[in-house]
Amino acid sequence: MKEMIFALFSIITLLTGAGVVISRNVIYSAFNLVLCFFGLASLYLLWGATFISMVQILIYAGAIVVLFVFVVMLLNFEHSSERSQNFWIILGSGIGSWVLSLFLLRVLSNTLGASPYQSAAPTNLRTVSKLLFTQYLWPFEVLTIFMLALIIGIYLLGRPESEGTQS
Amino acid sequence: MNALDVAISALKAIVILVAVIQVVPVMIYVERKVAALIQDRPGPNRVGPLGLLQPVADAVKFLFKEDPIPLNTNRLLYTLAPFLSLLPACLVIAALPIADKAVLFGKEITIQIADLDVSLIYVLAIGSLGVYGILFGGWASNNKFSLIGALRSASQMVSYELPLGLATVGAVMVYGTYSLREMVVLQDGTLGGFLPNWGIFYQPLGFLIFLISSFAETNRLPFDLPETEAELVAGFHTEYGSMKFATFFMAEYMNLSTMAGMMTVLFFGGWHLPWITDQQVLDWVGSQNLLCLIQVVTYISKVAVFLFLYVLIRWTLPRFRFDQLLHLAWTNLIPLGLINVAVSAVLMYLMRGPA
Repeated sequence: MKEMIFALFSIITLLTGAGVVISRNVIYSAFNLVLCFFGLASLYLLWGATFISMVQILIYAGAIVVLFVFVVMLLNFEHSSERSQNFWIILGSGIGSWVLSLFLLRVLSNTLGASPYQSAAPTNLRTVSKLLFTQYLWPFEVLTIFMLALIIGIYLLGRPESEGTQS
Repeated sequence: MNALDVAISALKAIVILVAVIQVVPVMIYVERKVAALIQDRPGPNRVGPLGLLQPVADAVKFLFKEDPIPLNTNRLLYTLAPFLSLLPACLVIAALPIADKAVLFGKEITIQIADLDVSLIYVLAIGSLGVYGILFGGWASNNKFSLIGALRSASQMVSYELPLGLATVGAVMVYGTYSLREMVVLQDGTLGGFLPNWGIFYQPLGFLIFLISSFAETNRLPFDLPETEAELVAGFHTEYGSMKFATFFMAEYMNLSTMAGMMTVLFFGGWHLPWITDQQVLDWVGSQNLLCLIQVVTYISKVAVFLFLYVLIRWTLPRFRFDQLLHLAWTNLIPLGLINVAVSAVLMYLMRGPA
């Protein structure tokens, strides 16, 4: 039963993931991306990671892709979706993503056995919060400061020119 | 999990979903009647006694109307969009705890489709997906009014998700759980002997922010900028007719009932009667099933009060301008939400000590 559900959602994730790359229409790509995130969230659920699964939908499908679609609709990319025919770009990105996936597989296969989720399926959220605020407190805080710096940087880049000249 | 459990879950999902969908005809009637009352006109009064069969007539009309697809639209997304907006509205219902539990065939059955440990985040996450129906529908219609309506809707819903989420953080801190069911259980009894032990007395500011944001999340007046009749014809559903249009409306009313249900659960004690604990009611009626029925009625009454508030506000307040709307979210509600979280944290530390 569980294997069947796993297979179903894996196929959905892979197919829609391929759809993101293959679709000629940018809106279809975005729609496929939403479905892909849904498939991923379902896989997380199967793994027992309810929190990550919900956050995946809330942040990626619910906010980030909405902004993608927003920008695509505003700029109307529909008629300008010619693909790059440059051989070297295709080759380079192909090799790059292959090396990256190998690297990720290596890292994952090292840590998969010792996942904090597997031992703590029933009280998942509590376990995650405890880990986040005890064992991983330092990386967590560093990340938040990093995010804050990003937000300030984006504000500096995006604010109107007239304000920038005064300071 | 054996076959019986699966069957019970499936049956529960169907019964609760069908029950919640009944909010749509009721709301159509109430909305038209209250609008008429406020504008001093009779309102629907031809079909059935007091016009009560008007929603049926409306539904039949929608079903039998021609279902046109305008030229030069993106047919796939145009057809898909109404359902993309209805689907999340239906999915969200799974997490709402309507009543405690009933005993049927010697089994305890909780009146909630799925009791997730992260049900609060589930509601926020799935609720945030409703924007895709509007966004794709407005874009696929190949109409500038629709597109502007859709873009407005997207920026509005993304902006107001933040204060909505922040408002619930206070409630999460008070109850110490993300499970909506546990939150309701914790709201039993009285607070200080004279107040119901409800979330609103712990999080008044949180409730206010949640209420305001919920209007924007469901595209209701005074924040119905995606469909402003006065400027955008009908916004994102300008090009939609017959049942597709009705589907958008069903989604809107179901989202409204979800928001009303969330306010009931987070801030107004869910299925609990004010001042009376569940144990007292159980002693009076003497049966778990009767208690469950009373809880369901209590929950529905509370939701009905909020739905009525939505209707009242729709017909009494004027519409915001779009920049005012975004300004309200980013410069007022989000800072207020952050202050609410900080103040709640300090107060909780002072009153309860370190956790």
